[in-house]
Amino acid sequence: MALEKTNLNQVKIFAFKLLVLIAVFYVFDFLVGATLRYFYFRQKSGVEYETIYAMEKANEDVLVFGSSRASHHYVPKSFETILGKSFHNVGRENNFVLYSNALLRSITLRHIPKIVILDLNYREFEKTDRHYDYLSSLLPFYKNHPEIRPIIEMRSRYEKLKFVSNIYPFNSLAPTIAVGYFGLKKGKENIQGYIPLYRVMSDSAKVIGTSDNYPIDSNKVAAYESFVRLCKDKGIKLYVVCSPYYDFVEHGDSTINLATQIAIKNEVCFWDYSKDRYYAGKAPFFDDNIHLNNGSATTFSDSIALRIRADAMLTQKLTALGEK
Amino acid sequence: MLFNSFQFVFFFIAITLLYFILPHKYRWFLLLAGSCYFYMAFVPIYILILGFTIVIDYFAGIFLEDASGKRKKWFLVASLFANIGVLAVFKYYNFLNENLTILLSGLGKSNPIPYLSILLPIGLSFHTFQAMSYTIEVYRGHQKAERNFGIYALYVMFYPQLVAGPIERPQNLLHQFYEKHSFEIDRVVSGLKIILWGFFKKLVIADRLALYVNAAYNNADHHSGQTLILATIFFAFQIYCDFSGYSDIAIGCARIMGFKLMTNFNRPYLSSNISEFWTRWHISLSTWFKDYLYISLGGNRVSIPRWYFNLFFVFLVSGLWHGANWTFLIWGGLNGCYLILALIRQRFWKKMGWGTISLPPFLGKVISLSTTFILICFSWIFFRANSLHDSFLIVRKIFTFKGPIFNNNTPSLFFSFIGIFILIAAELKQEYWKGSISFFNNPSPVVRYISYVTIILIILLIGVFDGGQFIYFQF
Repeated sequence: MALEKTNLNQVKIFAFKLLVLIAVFYVFDFLVGATLRYFYFRQKSGVEYETIYAMEKANEDVLVFGSSRASHHYVPKSFETILGKSFHNVGRENNFVLYSNALLRSITLRHIPKIVILDLNYREFEKTDRHYDYLSSLLPFYKNHPEIRPIIEMRSRYEKLKFVSNIYPFNSLAPTIAVGYFGLKKGKENIQGYIPLYRVMSDSAKVIGTSDNYPIDSNKVAAYESFVRLCKDKGIKLYVVCSPYYDFVEHGDSTINLATQIAIKNEVCFWDYSKDRYYAGKAPFFDDNIHLNNGSATTFSDSIALRIRADAMLTQKLTALGEK
Repeated sequence: MLFNSFQFVFFFIAITLLYFILPHKYRWFLLLAGSCYFYMAFVPIYILILGFTIVIDYFAGIFLEDASGKRKKWFLVASLFANIGVLAVFKYYNFLNENLTILLSGLGKSNPIPYLSILLPIGLSFHTFQAMSYTIEVYRGHQKAERNFGIYALYVMFYPQLVAGPIERPQNLLHQFYEKHSFEIDRVVSGLKIILWGFFKKLVIADRLALYVNAAYNNADHHSGQTLILATIFFAFQIYCDFSGYSDIAIGCARIMGFKLMTNFNRPYLSSNISEFWTRWHISLSTWFKDYLYISLGGNRVSIPRWYFNLFFVFLVSGLWHGANWTFLIWGGLNGCYLILALIRQRFWKKMGWGTISLPPFLGKVISLSTTFILICFSWIFFRANSLHDSFLIVRKIFTFKGPIFNNNTPSLFFSFIGIFILIAAELKQEYWKGSISFFNNPSPVVRYISYVTIILIILLIGVFDGGQFIYFQF
């Protein structure tokens, strides 16, 4: 062995010092992490509060899942009035099907909604690391929600290891937690998870080319399939919707095509409004290229709620006919 | 394998432990095997390119030592040709072809030469330059040819500095592979401290600033002049922390095993003029160009116009070294112009018999530091912009100075300023108040331990863990 006796002593001293450092670090990490955890789960407002509500409190009849397009496109009042059911929008900016799947897994452990709407985007199944990075919004729930751990662990090969630190789940969240806990800043207007937008965009519509040419992420497809299956298993009526876009799309999108096929295979309604000429290309309806403003979001929500009601009535009639 | 990955942490621990356990005579082989594994973790097949240049330069070194006169010169030319040839194919071929296409289309003709669809091997410019420095030094008689092929391969491939430098010289590194390094606690601890500071710079500052810089620079036409000014200042700190953070980790890793790599950064933004900046920024590359290109061109021992040309040319080549794009050429050219203008001003000043303007030392220092920083920031616009069109758009927007400052994430902006503040405070302390209060080197172990833990906690609290690779990997 190359390590001589004097070296071995040095190694022992070093190992001892390293252990002391690890112990000191562990104490501080535990204290800071526990403090952040305490305040995180006691927030009263803000973006993080919306996730806490969705994960641990949401108990409404109708729940909407998806990204920012979900949170800006589904107006609670429309659904409550037309369907006569309680409603909450659990969509969150920059979070896609992986996030929605994790959320549904947690929610259905304590509450079974009657209706679920999943809003899908173009390129949602695209292979991109960004979507995994966005799952960071679920890190604080890793400890107490084992059902979502496999999804969080998809972020990286060594994700599990990172949770050795108590601070890691709250990385970059300290100011947000302070604002949410003390209610320091009035955030965006939020009505049961719906965030209305009021701008009217001024650009003219453009035709965007095919968005067929991108690699598909099998994890995301699996997450979507799992979402559909879970709804089916729990007896939840699921509607998958691709809400309107401002730009005209020449060809179909791979994600939407694939999602439609999976929906049909599982006998789930898939409603594609992305090429709907009523919305596409009409600047007064939009806040930006991908988000409806409040007025048109209300019109869109009314139409979805009416369609759900019609679908429910049709199902009822068919069931009755079947019974006869 | 990125330094900021768990894969590297495990790799480093395993290699270092084995290094100290193994008898000295086997250590070089361990390091070589580890370096091959490290490099192959990126794109395995590219190790063949590295192998090609290593074989060429190994034999070139031996032939150079044994040859004399014209024959010797030819061996050097052949070796340089092989190295530059690899660089030209992988890095510059498509760039040259693209410009040829533009030129021919201007003449109404089409370009028959096909484009190559190849990825640039990671760190190609770094290890090629390191290999070239070996053959040049052997040619000049400053270095004996290395007869042990494994040791020579290790010189080119030593994993801490393989993909992003520091670009070592054979006189500094080769002999260290023959020296027996024992486990010394002070050296190991000092290496770990350097690594910790490197991680802080990369994760807390560089990757945080990258979020804002990328948002602004990737959509320059949608952002205001003020946003682009802030993004440019942020980029100045981002690239410094990204690159010097990498260098720190490399130097720290090597130091733990007993290797001393050259300093690559010396608080460059505390330079009083551009000339000083280039003695503090990417020192291993600047000195490479000085030793092997600038001096070969005659340096400053030539006529004044030729001297200016030498300076300008060296900076143009330096720009091209960074990337096959006109933006890098402009960046290099701009820095060359800065230096030439400073020299002209100096000469003019002297000729007119004007004395120095006497300002209070503090004010004079602040003015010179700020002016240098602004000039360097201006050149960074070209370095960072995605295209020539974007860079001119950004410059135009910056000079209009209109519009609101983009802020889509207040906490992130807040963390950016915290990171920059800590960096500036640390660098000012090292530069001007070296003997004052110290944290990492405090005699009290309590203060030292709390300092280490504080830095780790800051990394965990506000570091960016989803950040990408190091900017300089692409070169």
